[in-house]
Amino acid sequence: MAGILEFAPAIVLLPFLSFLIALGAGRYMPKGGALAGIGATAGSFLLAVATFVAVSGGQTYNQTIYTWAEGLDAVDLTFGLLIDPLSAMMLVIVTLIAFLVHVFSLGYMNDDGQTGLPRYYAGLGLFTASMLGFVVADNLLMAFMFFELVGLCSYLLIGFWFRQDGPPSAAKKAFLVTRFGDYFFLIGVVAVFATFGSAAFAGPDAFPVLAEEALAGEHSVNTFLGMGEQAWFTVVGLLVLGGVVGKSAQFPLHTWLPDAMEGPTPVSALIHAATMVAAGVYLVARMYGFYALTPTTLAIIALIGGFTALFAATMGVVKKEIKQVLAYSTISQYGYMMLGLGAGGYVAATFHLMTHAFFKALLFLGAGSVIIAMHHNENMWDMGGLKEKMPVTYYAFLSGSLALAGIVPFAGFWSKDEVLYETLIHGLGGSPILLAAYAMGLLAVFFTGFYTFRMVFLTFHGEPRSETARNPHGVRWNVKAPLAVLGVLAATAGLVNMVPVEKLFGIKGIDFLHQFLDGSFDSLNAHHYAELIPYSSGYIGGEAGTVAIGAAVSLGLALAGAGLAYVLYNVPEPVEHTEKLGSIKTVLYNNYYQDEYQVWIATGVVQPISRVLDKFDQGVVDGVVNGVSSVSLFLGSRMRRIQSGVVSNYAALLTLGLTALLLGLGLIGGWFA
Amino acid sequence: MVPAQYYLILSAAVFCIGLFGLLTRRNALLFLMSVELMLNAANINLVAFSYYWGNVTGQTFGLFTMALAAAEVAVGIGIILVLYRNFDDVDVTKATTMRW
Repeated sequence: MAGILEFAPAIVLLPFLSFLIALGAGRYMPKGGALAGIGATAGSFLLAVATFVAVSGGQTYNQTIYTWAEGLDAVDLTFGLLIDPLSAMMLVIVTLIAFLVHVFSLGYMNDDGQTGLPRYYAGLGLFTASMLGFVVADNLLMAFMFFELVGLCSYLLIGFWFRQDGPPSAAKKAFLVTRFGDYFFLIGVVAVFATFGSAAFAGPDAFPVLAEEALAGEHSVNTFLGMGEQAWFTVVGLLVLGGVVGKSAQFPLHTWLPDAMEGPTPVSALIHAATMVAAGVYLVARMYGFYALTPTTLAIIALIGGFTALFAATMGVVKKEIKQVLAYSTISQYGYMMLGLGAGGYVAATFHLMTHAFFKALLFLGAGSVIIAMHHNENMWDMGGLKEKMPVTYYAFLSGSLALAGIVPFAGFWSKDEVLYETLIHGLGGSPILLAAYAMGLLAVFFTGFYTFRMVFLTFHGEPRSETARNPHGVRWNVKAPLAVLGVLAATAGLVNMVPVEKLFGIKGIDFLHQFLDGSFDSLNAHHYAELIPYSSGYIGGEAGTVAIGAAVSLGLALAGAGLAYVLYNVPEPVEHTEKLGSIKTVLYNNYYQDEYQVWIATGVVQPISRVLDKFDQGVVDGVVNGVSSVSLFLGSRMRRIQSGVVSNYAALLTLGLTALLLGLGLIGGWFA
Repeated sequence: MVPAQYYLILSAAVFCIGLFGLLTRRNALLFLMSVELMLNAANINLVAFSYYWGNVTGQTFGLFTMALAAAEVAVGIGIILVLYRNFDDVDVTKATTMRW
């Protein structure tokens, strides 16, 4: 396998090529450019798998490809590739999901007779390429640039149906809200450059390593605003975190994500599982060596994550539309990942990122299949009884739902349990903040179980509640095949990292992901991170006991939620039990009035301030400038009167001027003294 | 030998006569004559100082100035002709189209 990593740039370039092909020649191609995209992502996937195998064998790759701005006595700005276990794993996930989404799009878009397909496939290609570029980025600035490209592509794809009212507005919202976070990220990038003079993730001048050495007092770095190194690193970490919160849809910048459901469903699958939303969490994992140095930032990440997990899960309980439920589940699940990262569970969070990618892509594609069948009606109250009509979709969807709810042995159980376990032991080790975050995460497990199975039962069980549900539109192989692949993965992906089994039964060596993420650059492996995190561990009844208690509690809560949904909704004619919540339901259904208060901030606070600033600009700044010009104009209009056109006057003025000059010179020179 | 002051007084007198003509006359030809007078006043100065210092350079300059004055008259007469052609008059106060 020697040298396979040399082909790593092709993983990024292939989807970019498909973007160019679909954009330039998509109109003349069969299927509107889909085949180029499918071929490119399949090629990327194969290369990514080869890369993954090579990385498993202990190879790594860290190379600068292109220096696009050379600095004299300053930093060079470069593009480069960093292939380590984390990015190799992410490459496989992204290329696989992108490939399946391309295939699924044949069924969702082409078979549906949509127009503008070249634009759609060009968007998908660029989206995949940007995310892959982000994943392999070897420095923070390159990561930022591709981060922005990902945001741009999501804007283009969410607003794909731009002739309707909803999608363009949702696209603008997604763009602006994430841009608000990215603004802080950009300042963070500049701060990293200013502090360390380098933004590389790995290598001799990697900024996490420099930060670590600076804290150990081995050398000094530039800090600003008169802060100490620890405080300044916290500020930088929080600035970069701004971008993460925006992209990964964490509270309070999560509002764009439910609206983004206006885009085509395969795009939603791509956004939620592999690209865009995953980018935020991946960024924290990528520079985890830096975050692990600042306990304050970690605590904030954990709190945001735990709170978002619970907060989003409660909103998912009352939604009517299948994609809305999934949207809130995404926010909630990314909350778990943030919780895991903040709690020092680097491997746990990465694990959840992986399993979530599989089961969330599966759920969205499954929802897409249902939406095709329902002629683009997304309201779950119009569905019901689809189980017999579309068995492949049903069983795949069920597999994804079990994974999402965290029922053993499906993928989500293992990863979510490990996230919660890490939070618990580090919380017991003397961190009340983590215990609070743990409590929120645990409570969210119950809600997750409930809303997931409410969705399953409403969609697939009971009696059909509308004419379309009685005679659903059929789906073809291109929808079923991706569902089958992901269905198997959602059921089995968790088996790669069965930590609870290992700890309980003492079977060594089945935590493959732990081992995989350990084999890397010294400064980038999980082992190093475990040494860096500022937490100590505490246990109830020994390590095995804590594992058993944690797993039992989270599984019990998930089952309780699912069971409640079973009792309430697995009946032939379900009714809206959430109505009983009364005013709470209204609050939940309106997303805690998050949109309203953000609009209020914009119109009630920012707008008046802007108006005052506008007054200042228009009145004072423009006033001074306009004043100067009007004085000149006035004086000019008076002074020009001396231009009478009569030569004699000019001569007189000349004479008078000369006389005055002579008199003046004489007076100064003292001729008359 | 006549003292230099006399020449300077003569020169100043001629210059002032020219200036007076320039400020009071309206006829362009008289303008031109006045300008010639002022020019000659300067010429007298050149020659007078040359004589005073016993240096012939000033007198040479005087010769040049006369040639220059001749050329200037040619140009001036040309301007006056054009003035007459455009305004049917040589009254300089009538030609005020270049005013603000």
